[in-house]
Amino acid sequence: MNVLVLLAGILFLLMSLIGGRKGVRSFIALFLNFGVIIVTLFFMNVPDINSIILTMIACVAISCINLFYINEVNKKTKTAFISTMITTLILVVFISIITNNAMIQGFGEEETEEMGMFSFLIGIDFVKIAVSVIIMSTIGAITDAAMAIASPMREMQYHHPDISRKELFAFGLSIGRDILGTSTNTLFFAFFGAYLALLIWFKDLSYSLGEIVNSKIFSSEMITILCAAIGVTAVIPVTSWITAYFLVKNNSKDC
Amino acid sequence: MHTFKNIYDKMTYKHKIFIILLLCSFVGSLIFVHNNYSFYEEPIAKVVKTNIVESTEIEDLNNNTDAVHVQHLVAELMNGKDKGTEIQLVNEFSDSKALDHKFEAGNELFIKIDEKIAAGSERTGTITGVKRDKYLVMIAWVFIFVLLLVGRRQGLLSIISLVVNAVILSYALDLYINNSERSLILICSISIILFTVISLLLVNGLNEKTYAAIIATLLGTFSSLLITYLALLVTGEHGLRYEELQFITRPYKTVFMAGLFIGSLGAVMDVAITMSSSIFGLYEKDNNISVKALIHSGMEIGKDIMGTMTNILFFAYVSGSIPMLILYFKNASPFGYTLSLNLSLELARALAGGIGIVLTIPIGLYTTIFFVNRKRARQ
Repeated sequence: MNVLVLLAGILFLLMSLIGGRKGVRSFIALFLNFGVIIVTLFFMNVPDINSIILTMIACVAISCINLFYINEVNKKTKTAFISTMITTLILVVFISIITNNAMIQGFGEEETEEMGMFSFLIGIDFVKIAVSVIIMSTIGAITDAAMAIASPMREMQYHHPDISRKELFAFGLSIGRDILGTSTNTLFFAFFGAYLALLIWFKDLSYSLGEIVNSKIFSSEMITILCAAIGVTAVIPVTSWITAYFLVKNNSKDC
Repeated sequence: MHTFKNIYDKMTYKHKIFIILLLCSFVGSLIFVHNNYSFYEEPIAKVVKTNIVESTEIEDLNNNTDAVHVQHLVAELMNGKDKGTEIQLVNEFSDSKALDHKFEAGNELFIKIDEKIAAGSERTGTITGVKRDKYLVMIAWVFIFVLLLVGRRQGLLSIISLVVNAVILSYALDLYINNSERSLILICSISIILFTVISLLLVNGLNEKTYAAIIATLLGTFSSLLITYLALLVTGEHGLRYEELQFITRPYKTVFMAGLFIGSLGAVMDVAITMSSSIFGLYEKDNNISVKALIHSGMEIGKDIMGTMTNILFFAYVSGSIPMLILYFKNASPFGYTLSLNLSLELARALAGGIGIVLTIPIGLYTTIFFVNRKRARQ
């Protein structure tokens, strides 16, 4: 039996046991997201399509799945969705500047030693692919943070309908600060775990500090980790502001 | 200007010292990375002028079209005994830039200077790498400033937690490499206990919420590891393609398991702390709340976070394979073969992490209720 099938089975069992119907939906969402990645990959293979724009479209689909499908379409998820999109846009601009300058696209020489039979002249702009990879690795964390802030803000406004926009914004920021530490930790450890082999490799082959810092692989991994952390941090004020803006505006209309 | 003065007046003495120190190290480090040429033994050259001398359209065996360009560079040596003199370099790059780079004036490169053939001829060299340290330092500062600006105290604590954890990890790996008879899993288990205690204490402070979260994290991580291990054992690891685990100098299975172990830790901690702080929050609002009500609310919170948390790990792991997948597809590799070869380990990591996340929901719930009951009994 295939390990992946068994692990997926165990995960499905646990999610449906503990999460009930919502657990099942969360599990299906994982598969839908996998589907989105595969479809995106398929289009990335066409040289004429700009892969950054493609990634933005994929991000819209992924946020829809994570927010509207797992939860439902309501004020909370709508504001979380808008905030996710704005943060991703800001991040795309920032990451494009960084990847262009640091030249971390494509593959490091360490990765390609055994790939002599491959043709690397495939006509796909790997600088854009590098931007897409960083955005895609952060999108899950960004939607999670946006939801975690929008949801208690909505509750706050529900219990205190006359709260001012400024107060609500401050409340959102304070919630954001509480989750900041754990969200960044989640990303740090996920990447530490993924790069463990690379770290052992650097240590085993006794690379000097200068060689490690300037190597394409290490710097691209570091840039990914730092951009991911910047993304989950930037989404905090964006979500607080957007949610406060929409909730309090709607409120004054009702009066 | 007026608001700046207001903010400045409101700051405490400690804050001012902190900000001054921060700005000093910011400026200092930027000056350092822009002038650290003499610290490198390898010659470094800064590109002054570029000139594309030749462009060729190319079609490979799989009908992918690309263009290869030859670029002549004039660069200035930045270190060594010939500092300040000009050097001629040749660079070849393609439009896809998967392995090569297009250089522009201002780029800094590591080079190897060729032996001079004849006196009076122009100095030439070969490019061996790109100097990336200044970009790394710059983005690290953007990271620090964004975290401090948005998170203030919590931002500072997360930066400290990242640095401390990175140091522990590096030390643990040194320990493993220098004493290879010691098991990596054992070293990792000890580091995981350290990571958990330090990160949760830094994020949440010394209180019962944190203790409950620490115990829940450890129980959650170790039980998910056990499940994953059993699953690997039962299936005989059928379907895992270890050959794609890159950078392997050590027994690959242990490295993979240890990475899987550490990778899910952050997410498990996140779930554990969310469960314990929200349940303690409910208890603090109403000291007489029944255990049944706590279990009910706890499960509701768990259901809310389960989906997004598993997605975080999924995207963090799977996205990294995108460039390799594209390369395989463009080299006409079969679809199923490419996916199983390049994604099996990443998917196994994401699924095992997901199992850890979901398991930690009830574990965190009951651990916290145990602590709540203990607190209740004492009062």
